[in-house]
Amino acid sequence: MPEKNKSVQQKLTELSELVEWFQGADFKLETAVDKFQSAEKLAAEIEKDLTELKNEISVVKKHFDGNG
Amino acid sequence: MDEILFSVSDFVAVTNQTLEYAYPTVSVVGEVAEYRISQGKWVSFKLKDAGAVVNCFAGVYQMRTPLEDGMKVIVVAQPRLNPKGYFNLNVKAVKPVGEGSIKKGFELLKAKLAAEGLFAPERKRTLPRVPRHVAVVTSTESAAYADFCRIVNERWGGLKIDVAHTQVQGMPAPDQMIRAIEYFNGLDTLPEVLVIIRGGGSAEDLATFNDEPLARAIASSRIPTLVGVGHEVDHTLADMVADARAATPTHAAETLVPDRGEIIRSAHVQAQSASNLLVQAIDHYSQQTRQSLEGAFRRIQERLDATFDRLSVLRGVVSQLNPEHVLRRGYALVRGDIKPGKVIEIETYKNIITAEVQDAREK
Repeated sequence: MPEKNKSVQQKLTELSELVEWFQGADFKLETAVDKFQSAEKLAAEIEKDLTELKNEISVVKKHFDGNG
Repeated sequence: MDEILFSVSDFVAVTNQTLEYAYPTVSVVGEVAEYRISQGKWVSFKLKDAGAVVNCFAGVYQMRTPLEDGMKVIVVAQPRLNPKGYFNLNVKAVKPVGEGSIKKGFELLKAKLAAEGLFAPERKRTLPRVPRHVAVVTSTESAAYADFCRIVNERWGGLKIDVAHTQVQGMPAPDQMIRAIEYFNGLDTLPEVLVIIRGGGSAEDLATFNDEPLARAIASSRIPTLVGVGHEVDHTLADMVADARAATPTHAAETLVPDRGEIIRSAHVQAQSASNLLVQAIDHYSQQTRQSLEGAFRRIQERLDATFDRLSVLRGVVSQLNPEHVLRRGYALVRGDIKPGKVIEIETYKNIITAEVQDAREK
């Protein structure tokens, strides 16, 4: 099931695995609806995470001109 | 004024002192002639123009670009009078100038590095698809850097980007960039990608990225490298030795991180494909169930048909046993006491007859 503390990459991997499950030998109709709902929730979370994420850009204080 | 009398050694020393005071460093432009390397350590050549010639002397390590006779170069040097009486330019740095010489220097160094296998495809490392920690070497004052940041911010988030501000053109630029590369490679936790970017410029500006020590520093970086210098048409040795080449700084940003818009669309497409697979699965199970039910109905129908067939046969038999049918064939049914004088009732198919028994015998 999707969790808050997972990285986007982990969620993307989990989503791919979920979709693969639908095509695999372990597929069961009884659990398919839950799995599908998890996939939808993951896609929504990925969208939210990616939209909200900001980059942290910082300039290194060290000088590279040979004077420290 | 009294005449000063020098020993030869003092004269040489004073001359050098005077030169050092007046011209601590000179930049001289001219054409290379009689270029030689001695013992793999020392480089000597003459720098000449139409009217004069001067000797130049350098250590091999100071030559950042291979030279050849006929190349036009700028020599940054300290003028010195040698104790043996020769006047030299002690070379600190030398760089080709003019399109032809820059190209020649580029080709010579390219051939040298290629022979060492520094451009070999098997040396190239794959960049992580989604890095989390990125190091950037560039001039933070450049438009290229602003474009790079804008594109990266548009495309992806959650990155930690450490930027080393260096010059990206001019004589000090290669050494500054090398120090920045060494700095990032010396960190306890290495960034996942080292990006080196610079916008477009003249061939002379971009020649900074054809510097041999810089190319070697990029090639030996422990961190996978991505170099985006100049425009699409510009090729430098720095981007040839890098693990990945980007045509421009903007392209470097696009190469570095995926587009979050595409990832979001892809995630929704994947979820939708799960939905489609679920519907397909339900259809499949429904069809299986329908086929099973149809089979069961067929079998019930077959049983019913067989039972009705049997019933029909039995009806025929029962029908044959019906007394009515026997009477129809001309037989009669006699009721009553079969003794002489007694009245009996005889039933035929069409009549009921009352009669008296006149005689009754055993057959």
